[in-house]
Amino acid sequence: MAMLRGRRVVVVAGAGGVGKTTVSAALGLGLAAAGARVAVVTIDPARRLATALGIPGLGDEPHRVDPAVVEAAGMRMAGTLDALQLDPRATFDRLIAREAPDDAARDRILRNRVYRHLSGAAGAQEFMAVERLHELVDSGAYDVVVLDTPPARNALDFLDAPERMTRFVEGRGLRLLLGPRAGAGRTGWRALQAGGHMVMSVVERLTGAQLLTDISEFLQSFDGMYQGFSNRAAAVHDLLASDSTRFVVVTGPRPEPASEAVALWRRLADEHYPLGAVVVNRVHPAPGATGTPDGLAGLLRHAGAPDPEGLASRAAAALEAAQARAAADAHEVGALSHALSGPPLAIVPALAEDPVEVAGLAQVTRALGDDARDPGRDAGAAPPPDQARRQTT
Amino acid sequence: MPSPPLTDRRLVFVLGKGGVGKTTVAAALALGLADRGHRTLLIEVAAETRTAAVFGTAPPVDAPVELRPGLFALSVDAEQAMQEYLSIQLKVRPLVEMMSRSRAFHQVTQAAPGLAELVTLGKIWDLATAVRDGRPVWDRLVVDAPATGHGLALLQAAASMRDLAGSGPISDQADAIERVVRHPEATGVVVVAIPEELAVTEAAEAVALMRERGVPVACAVANAVRTSPFGPGDADVLRTVLGDPAAGPAERAAAGAALATVDGAAHDAREVRALGDGCALPVAMLPAVPDLAPGSGGVEHLSATLMADPALGGTGAS
Repeated sequence: MAMLRGRRVVVVAGAGGVGKTTVSAALGLGLAAAGARVAVVTIDPARRLATALGIPGLGDEPHRVDPAVVEAAGMRMAGTLDALQLDPRATFDRLIAREAPDDAARDRILRNRVYRHLSGAAGAQEFMAVERLHELVDSGAYDVVVLDTPPARNALDFLDAPERMTRFVEGRGLRLLLGPRAGAGRTGWRALQAGGHMVMSVVERLTGAQLLTDISEFLQSFDGMYQGFSNRAAAVHDLLASDSTRFVVVTGPRPEPASEAVALWRRLADEHYPLGAVVVNRVHPAPGATGTPDGLAGLLRHAGAPDPEGLASRAAAALEAAQARAAADAHEVGALSHALSGPPLAIVPALAEDPVEVAGLAQVTRALGDDARDPGRDAGAAPPPDQARRQTT
Repeated sequence: MPSPPLTDRRLVFVLGKGGVGKTTVAAALALGLADRGHRTLLIEVAAETRTAAVFGTAPPVDAPVELRPGLFALSVDAEQAMQEYLSIQLKVRPLVEMMSRSRAFHQVTQAAPGLAELVTLGKIWDLATAVRDGRPVWDRLVVDAPATGHGLALLQAAASMRDLAGSGPISDQADAIERVVRHPEATGVVVVAIPEELAVTEAAEAVALMRERGVPVACAVANAVRTSPFGPGDADVLRTVLGDPAAGPAERAAAGAALATVDGAAHDAREVRALGDGCALPVAMLPAVPDLAPGSGGVEHLSATLMADPALGGTGAS
């Protein structure tokens, strides 16, 4: 995908089950083959993908893919490809260690029960995916980081995650209510606290005092860290909204993920995020022929089939089913293209099975229009998005 | 200790990776249970509006709606559940209104990690234990849970809150919920996967995690499994035809499509085995159904297939 060349961040988003991880890996492979130093951050436990890439298993630390493995699959590897799997808790712990004013504050937070729950909570994944992205970009070790986004009810939850987290850590209203316990006692806020005390006494009846004490301690230990959190959230937002980033939306040729992709694309456009392309994954290609296989029974008899007529009719039914599937997929792609009105659509054909080896991944990479055997492009110059290789309709 | 068959457990959670067909499986199971004469409630968690695509009616958040005879549906929303919880706990209406209006209160609910999941699970528990005239209101409850990570958080919500809150009414309540959720006679989790590596791996990891935490996992469902109408010898003769220079393009295409069907079915059979081995669970199988729209008969067909599958019949592994 030419439009991704020279970018520092590629965010791959989409509904669950459409093959985001595979597309992320294939895009990373393509960019690395073309000469970039690439890191792919996956969320899902893609073990066989890791095995296929010749790395022992994906962990929090990047693993380098051996170029020989890629070259054995017929691709020239001009850059490097690293892969890692997001570990939200490890990332969160590192963030705390970096932002804490001193070791004592760090240890207090890492030990706090509210923090332990928070860092392992399902919602932390979205925030940490963005945080890990920030870390990798900041490290300077990579030209481009490809982020496979976490599954969420709302596929764009991760965009708001840094801001949500900052607000939570700040917890201004909560501090007021918790009063002296949370160390909020500035004059002028006392009137507000008076009303708050009543609310808090009711809350305490429900939760018990222990939980409130833990939350107070948690908020207290974050004292002096909001600025760091808030700066980081702003930096991440700026990076994601900048021209250094491209969003790629992945979908399948089915109505549900397609309508989700359209909603995603529109929201990204509305919020001025830099759009890359829409990838329609696993599209069934039309069988080569359109006629009816009238001569099949004869050929099967000749080949020694015990029941040539029966087998021929079952094979004809399989062909019909394949034709119907291809027609339905083509219809869905057309509808998607119409609904999106304009953005480049990259079509990845359905493979016999999901790529779990480099050769299969390379097929996806080529379908995405980044053939590594075509080294003629300068990594700095990216043509405008409307020049994508593939356009349907 | 042998656990009762899934169909005998009152509360069933349907869990799986996004996009594997949890809603389809939950709908098929709920329909099947209702057909057997159980008064069944299908519960959708938080604004996942997919049930409507199968039954033509979106489950409301306030009161259950009857989709088919004996089959009801309800959508559980965390905000609404929180309000109800407050009303029950505080009893005094002005106090409830004050709390719901309080920004500070909303901050506290956000600040306590997992509280949204807890009230959602609490509402489900409330429905599962509701009694009218000495009889349970619902014979069976089927929960269409959120995607794996969030679904696991939902199942774990009570245990998390009990550990976090220490003591107090919330902790006591969490304890009561936890006893129901972990009870293998009362509750069962169905793990759904499609026959693809990622979904199968994620299912196996989720099952391992649930076993570690004492959540009773009942069985796995492999959804959208491709099967083949071709016998063992067919592939060889089809390949011969494919290489026969006398074959025209249509004949070659038909032989190719037939061979692709054979390969697809073989691939899916391997992944279904991997699912059973990885989860150490019996696996029920559902075919890919092209049309699930209301009136298409798709969900009825899946329901009949699922209910007839021996994997639902009972298991010692839990």
